[in-house]
Order: sequence, then C-alpha cells, then structure tokens
Amino acid sequence: MSVKIGIISFAHMHAFSYADCLRQIDGVEISSIYNEDEEQGKSLAQRFGASFFSDYNKLLEQKPDGVIICSANADHKKHVIASAESGCKHILCEKPIATTLDDAQAMIDSCSSNGANLGIAFPCRYIPAVMNAKSAIDSNTIGKILAAKTTNHGRMPGGWFINKEKSGGGAVMDHTPHVVDLLRWFMKAEPVEVYAEIDNKFYKMDIDDTGILTIQFDNGVFATLDTSWSRTKSYPTWGDVTLEIVGTDGIISIDSFAQDFDLYSDANMKAEWVYWGDNMDMGLVKDFIASVKGEKPFQIKGEDGLQALKVALGAYESAKAKNPVKI
Amino acid sequence: MLKIGIIGAGTMGGMHADCYSEIPDAKVVAVADARIDAAKRVAEKHSAQAFDKIDDVLSIKDIDIIDICLPTSMHKENVLKAASAKKHIFCEKPIARELEDGKEMISAVKKAGVKFMVGHVLRFFHEYVTAKRIIESGKIGNPVMIRTTRAAGHPQGWSNWYSNVQMAGGVPLDLIIHDFDFLRWCFGEVDHVYAKGLTYANVPDIDYSLVTIRFKNGVIAHVEGSWAHISGFFVKLEVAGDGGLFEFDSRTSSPLRIVTKSAKAGGGGVEVPQNPVIESPYTTELKYFIDAVKNDKEPPVTGEDALRAIEIAIASLKSMETGKPIIFPLI
Repeated sequence: MSVKIGIISFAHMHAFSYADCLRQIDGVEISSIYNEDEEQGKSLAQRFGASFFSDYNKLLEQKPDGVIICSANADHKKHVIASAESGCKHILCEKPIATTLDDAQAMIDSCSSNGANLGIAFPCRYIPAVMNAKSAIDSNTIGKILAAKTTNHGRMPGGWFINKEKSGGGAVMDHTPHVVDLLRWFMKAEPVEVYAEIDNKFYKMDIDDTGILTIQFDNGVFATLDTSWSRTKSYPTWGDVTLEIVGTDGIISIDSFAQDFDLYSDANMKAEWVYWGDNMDMGLVKDFIASVKGEKPFQIKGEDGLQALKVALGAYESAKAKNPVKI
Repeated sequence: MLKIGIIGAGTMGGMHADCYSEIPDAKVVAVADARIDAAKRVAEKHSAQAFDKIDDVLSIKDIDIIDICLPTSMHKENVLKAASAKKHIFCEKPIARELEDGKEMISAVKKAGVKFMVGHVLRFFHEYVTAKRIIESGKIGNPVMIRTTRAAGHPQGWSNWYSNVQMAGGVPLDLIIHDFDFLRWCFGEVDHVYAKGLTYANVPDIDYSLVTIRFKNGVIAHVEGSWAHISGFFVKLEVAGDGGLFEFDSRTSSPLRIVTKSAKAGGGGVEVPQNPVIESPYTTELKYFIDAVKNDKEPPVTGEDALRAIEIAIASLKSMETGKPIIFPLI
C-alpha cells in the first residue's frame, strides 16, 4: 500500500518542488491537494493525480498519512493545528515555522498533545556540500569554531512575501531561518543575542528588503548573516546560501549552489548560472516519507523552527531599538 | 630632484624605495632603521646612505621628504620629528593607533606648513578605482548594500608587532582600515558601527573581524577582515544597488597562472597566480605625493581622511569591547 500525502497550499513555491520529489519516490502518492487559489489547485491536482479540496478540513478528513504545509507564513498555524487535531501524525511545515513566537509555540504544543510529529522544512541540511561540512566539523577538522560569515541572498519574491500580514516580514523573515538552522545544527549551540541593520532601500516598499544580522551563540561563536533581497533581475541566479566558518585549525567555505554552468543565451540576453548539483529538496522529502513510514523519526523538529524564528524576530526588534537584543 | 629619506626598512620601506626609483624627480638618498643591516640592504640597492635613526636622516640638509614605513605605534614620534624639521611627510597607514595621536600629527604638519599624505593605497588600485567609477556611473542605481572581504594568514613583522593589539590594533586598524577608507571615499561619513571580532580573544596567530557600518547616507556595509585565512591573501567586493550589482573576487580574476613542478609538492605542481598591472598602485600613490610636493597641491589622501579611517577602526574595536553599536563622531 502506498503512502498517501496531502499538500496543504502551494502558496510557497517550494511546494512545487516537494510535489515533484514526492512523485519520484516509489510507493508515495500525492493523494490530496488544498490550495487557496482554486483554479491553480485544480490544475495542480490534475497534474499530480490528486483530489482537490477547497476546504483543508475536508482534505484532512481523508486521513492522509502525512501532510506538507506550504501556505503563507501566517497561515502555518491554523493549518498545522488543524492537521494535528485531525489525527494526522506526520506534518512537514515550510519555514519559517510561524510569524510569532506564540503561534509557533501553539503549533508545537498542539502537535505534542495530539501525538503528531511536527517537522520543519529546512532543506539546506540536505545539500551535499553542507552535509560534508557537517561531517568535517563533527570530526574536528577545523578545530574549535570561532566565527562564521554567512549569506542567504535572494531576489525580491513579490506576492504574499511582501505582505507583512501574511509573511510576518520581508527579507529578514524570509532568509534568516535557513542559515540559523545550519549554524545551530553544525555547532549544537543556541543563539543568545542578535544585532541587525534592516532597511528597504532596494525596493522602497513597506517591507524590509535588506538585512545584516550579527548573531552571538552560547558557545562564544559570533556570526553575521546577510538576508538581503539584493539579487537584481539581471543577476545570473536567484540567490545563494554561503557559510564561511573560521576555526582554530582551519576554515570551511560553503557555496551551496556553486555547482553550475555559466550560460549565455541570446534568448534572454542575460547570463545565467544553471545549477547541476543535487536537489536538496529530494533528501528532505525522502526523510519525511521515511518518518511517515515509521522507519526513522524526522530530524528537524518544531523547536528547530522556533529557535530560528526567535533570531528573525529578535533582528527586527534590534533594528528598532538600534541595539543588540537578547533572545 | 626631490630627495627622500625612508624611515623603516621592512617590507613597505623596501617597496617604497623601489617605487621611487620609477618616479622621475624623486631619489631615495637615505634609509634609516634601528636594524642597521636592514637599512643597509635597502640603501645599497638605491645607492643611498644607511642610518639607524631618523635624527641622522633629518640632519641631511637638503632632504625634502620623509617617508615613514614603521610600525603604527612609532608613526607619531617620527611624524612630529619630521614636521618640526619642516620636511614633507608620507606616512604609511594607519596614521596612528589612537585618535588623539592622529589629531596631534595633523596639527603638527599644518603648523609646519608641509605636505602630508597617508598610504591608503586602495584609492590607487585599478579594481577599486573602477568600482568607484561604476558606482558613480549610476549603472547599479543607488548603492544599498556593500560587502567587502580582506583575508590573509597572520602577518609576521618586526618583534611580532602585528599580534600586539595595543601596538597594531589588530585586523580593524591594520587590515580592513583599507576598506574603511575606500568605503568612506565612496559613501561619505559614518553614522554608526557594530562589530564582533577575535581581536581581544587571544587566539594564537588568528584575528578575525566582522564589521557592520551604517553610513549617514543610509548605505550599509559589511566588512570582513581576516588574519585566519592560511590559504593566502585575497579580497572580495560586492556592491548591490537598487538597479544592479557588481562583484569581484581577486582569486578568480588572475589573468596569469604559472604552475611549476615542485619537489615539496611530491613532484606535483605549485600554482602561483599573478595579477600584473603596468604601474604598481604603490608607485601611482607616491607619484601623486611627489606631484603634490612639487606643484604645491593638496595630496589626494589627507591627514583628515586618515583620521576618519582610524575613527571607523577604533569604533569597531570599541564595539567589540562593549558589545554595543558605536555612534559617530568619536572626535
């Protein structure tokens, strides 16, 4: 019998990639799809051979073995809690976990009291270069970690990402969680303080598009993280995830998507970097399916999402206070 | 012919002497260093006299210019001596370890009525000159976010002075001072600075800084400085604006790489990348200074510029110590 997965919303574009991954795994079926945009939802349901539901509670009544939630950030809470309360035992929620700490905590509590496993989609943990770096750190290759310089640049995504009600924030909310999660995972340490310069000068909209965070961890390590939507339309790729980690005995440099071709096509009169490395989403989705099947627990918990969210929210607070803030 | 005395015969002193040999109207006539052998080595190459202290150089009557290539903590004493002898002065960066010292030096050279220039040489590097030109061309719109990197292994100098925070001021004052000056040249005065670093962490042979600068015009800059990159020296620059972006990494812009067989590498190859330009930026820099002296012009980098650059470095150190953002001005 195949594993049945429901997808609650394609509002976040990562849902398309997760769905493509699911389709490539034997014994997995995208059984049901809910989407706010009904027309798009129906066409997606057809494409993936799933049933479409215009009400997510109806989808949950079908008792999928697991759900993947890719709604707008502010909607994660209601979708996760409804899933947990419906008796669904395996929930994978897109990052950031939520837009407020209260929402995130309510989601974690609801999953816990309903016996549901809440996983957060941090696919960067499945980038081969990142996994190798993790092993190198674990085997003490660069000695004691002292500092890190990181970036998660992107293009301005538009849509609900620039609607504060739905997203909870702009570039800082969008691009803080991934790298903070990697640093926590690499170092088994927690962020304790953050300072941030935040601005909106790239697009001059009513939402931040620029962020430089300086994060202090409880193991003494400091790190900066550039979350800016600074990649222009003319830039050859969408953005990056880079980490440069300085240790007492060496340095690890990760440029996650450096496996690419330089493509020059007269069709769009713009240079492009065409990625040929592995798809990180496949590792994430496979691990989620393994947890649904009961083979092994999913490694990225709701608490991981909460810790990453704390840094993003702390950054906004710091920029407002013009001072570092404790988190 | 302008006659030059070089004070300090270390790496920079030797290099400056070589640069002057390419400049018409300039001649190194004296080299002084407490390590007389070092002074002699440089002096002999340029048929100059060697001394073990600046006082002997200043006693040469018709000397015009004193070029100070000493450790930072010795800049003030020597600049003051040269100024009171009414010599024009070129001083290596950073101008001083402390703001007060820098101010005193500036007022001394003003009082003496001599030309004074500090070696913020990035302003003469092809890549940085071009970067400023692109910014000014408007091709990237209004600049918003700047990222710079200056990375190397830990430098070795006389008496290991680079490791002494009190003397050298670590990465902020000795290394990324270059980027601070470049950024200020492009974007004007600073509003505040926040920094974390290892300058006070006492990690052997490692220093590392991550500095965030907010300029008065709203531009944000992230400046990385490293004496932890044992793989060798490189720089990076990225300028993102609301209409475009440009980026540069010195490791991927070498037009020449020479690989040679090496016994050390077990018969494998050792690659040495080169980034040749017709005229060294250090020569260009000194040409501007010679021109300023000869033609009574304001040097392109003033004492005030140099003071404002160390202001950013000192604010960075202060931020590291206090854990707080540092609001400008400090002087």
